[in-house]
Amino acid sequence: MRKKGYILAIIFFSFFLSSNQSFSQSLNQLIKGNFSGSYENYSQYYLKDDKIGALLPLDRIGSNGFLKLDYNYGKFSAGAQFESYLPSILGYFPIPVDNQSKIVNKYFKYTDEKFSVQVGDFYEQFGSGLIFRAFENRQIGINNAVEGFNIHVNPTDYFRMKVIYGRTRQIFEYAKAVNRGFDAELDVNHLLGRKNDPINVAIGGSYFGKYQDYTGPLDKFPSTVHSFAGRIDLDANDFSLSSEYVEKASDPNLLNNQSFEKGKAFQVNGSFTKNNFGATATFRSVYNMNSTSDRNQEFTSIAPLNYVPALTKQHDYLTSNIYVYAAQLKGEVGFQTDVFYNIKPGTKLGGKYGTKISANYSMFNALKEPGNLTAIGKQKYFSDANIEIKKKFSKQMEMTLGLQQIFYNSAVIQVVSNETVSANVVALGGLYKWKSKKSVRVKLEHLSSETDSKSWASGLAEFSFSSPYAFFISDLYNYGKTKNHYYNFGASVTKKSTRFSLSFGKQRAGLFCVGGICRFVPASYGFTAGLTTSF
Amino acid sequence: MKKYIYIIVAFLMIQSSLLAQENGFPSIKLKSTNGQMVDLVDLGIQSKDTMVVMSFWATWCIPCINELEIINDVYEEKQAIKPFKFYGVSVDDTRTSQRVKPFIKGKGWQFNVLMDINSELKRYLNITDVPHVIILKDNKIVYRHTGYISGEEENLFEAIKNL
Repeated sequence: MRKKGYILAIIFFSFFLSSNQSFSQSLNQLIKGNFSGSYENYSQYYLKDDKIGALLPLDRIGSNGFLKLDYNYGKFSAGAQFESYLPSILGYFPIPVDNQSKIVNKYFKYTDEKFSVQVGDFYEQFGSGLIFRAFENRQIGINNAVEGFNIHVNPTDYFRMKVIYGRTRQIFEYAKAVNRGFDAELDVNHLLGRKNDPINVAIGGSYFGKYQDYTGPLDKFPSTVHSFAGRIDLDANDFSLSSEYVEKASDPNLLNNQSFEKGKAFQVNGSFTKNNFGATATFRSVYNMNSTSDRNQEFTSIAPLNYVPALTKQHDYLTSNIYVYAAQLKGEVGFQTDVFYNIKPGTKLGGKYGTKISANYSMFNALKEPGNLTAIGKQKYFSDANIEIKKKFSKQMEMTLGLQQIFYNSAVIQVVSNETVSANVVALGGLYKWKSKKSVRVKLEHLSSETDSKSWASGLAEFSFSSPYAFFISDLYNYGKTKNHYYNFGASVTKKSTRFSLSFGKQRAGLFCVGGICRFVPASYGFTAGLTTSF
Repeated sequence: MKKYIYIIVAFLMIQSSLLAQENGFPSIKLKSTNGQMVDLVDLGIQSKDTMVVMSFWATWCIPCINELEIINDVYEEKQAIKPFKFYGVSVDDTRTSQRVKPFIKGKGWQFNVLMDINSELKRYLNITDVPHVIILKDNKIVYRHTGYISGEEENLFEAIKNL
């Protein structure tokens, strides 16, 4: 209570000082350089709903807060992030964080054109991230920043090098392993003095190693785990091809069931574009690639070291997101392809404003045999075939039609049932704008399935009557089995870079995935408030 | 101890909002859709005459795409009124970054797109959510807006006209 009193008093005092122009001007003169930052808060108040399985936590309130402050003066920058979980919102961490706040991610950085050094906590990525990636994703609760140093050296405009060393953040602590890594990239054309060639070729290589003390009974247990990766990228105006191969030494840990087998991954992507057409296809095969900064860690979302995302389309449909794929790091092989086409305006099919078509297909199976990246197994994990057609009829109206066919192996992906799901989704959306800044956006969806929770229907309407206010109402209804409604309604107000939103409703229990990381979110019912601002 | 930390943080939070971006930007590398590395400081953000508009977006962000489609529809018309440089900055990570180039070609977008694959620029500019639009001129951020609801683009064009 006293703590909150202090905060209120300081904020009030600061506002008082801020209103005094001469004081703030003289302060500005004293402080060179500039401050910037952001604040984000996401809070929930929980109610009980037995029908959807929304239980009351011990504390009815969950609140996640992030304040980030950066200072920059010329080539120098420094900053810190203050995080508070009072307590963490339901399902945000596998084990809730109870009423804790801390200053985290402190850093100091010097950046020159050919050299930069950062000490403190940093984010980094080698290649596509299959070997190493440190990043933050607040939606899913990931922050695996590394505390140590990160040096970038670009001695010429065709060669780049990175060296990292440090420990990975594990919520408010640091994980036990010490990481060290090295990445180098070379633009081959520039090196050969053929900068203007139609094809740009870049090659790269990475090393990543981790060391964690082992005090167990085994003689030949690997305390140090080395990983190596090589990549090549070809880029031309209409065409690009990129490929990466990673190999990881024996790394027994809880997440791979103490497997002593080597890990490996291979990925290749090709893209082609011409006029109003674009297509891309990616093939990826993965075996035993769980990489964590503590071999005793049991949760994939806490302190991971690499990034192996699900290579499937991220849908914005309420019904499609019931069945989302999570990459199987123990072993999977599959591909994804996308096609985008814009039928030109002024043609019969394009009409006055053109017609936009996008189609996507992805499929992932088990490996036929452990460690063989090229052998596709018969066991199917997931497939998704979808098409979306978007047509603008006038300045006032546009419509979207989406069709999707999903295959989902629940036993492998969610490990909660032995069922497989075959589902079809139809979605119809529309936007009607009757006056400047006055519009309504509507979306209707239907998912049909014979198994699992069977059929669903959903509706969503967003109203914008007068900027900066917006309102929405939605319902996701399971009429095939549980007869549960998951309704939500709310409003938001946005002013410059500040947004406040408030909503009330029900959240379905399920797998929530952003990027490659998924977490299981429990059912919840109640109020949600969000505030974000950047300055 | 914690009390003093709260005091410093709250004080900095309020005072920092008073200070404008005045001392330029550091070198931050972005990747063009042709695979070339492009530096933020080479995009013309120092110009006192032509402003640089950056719209942060992702292929999975529907409001971002709605906003960029509207901007693309009136791009030539607005450039004729007052020329400006426009970059769509994709924050797609390696899950979806390979979709960016075919996506923009398939949409027929006329403006340049840059890729901020591990969100270095997004983080430097303290952008929490996409869509987020900023206007840079004379080495300063002179406009920023988060989120998109239909009609919001008119505020952006109004700002471009008046700045």
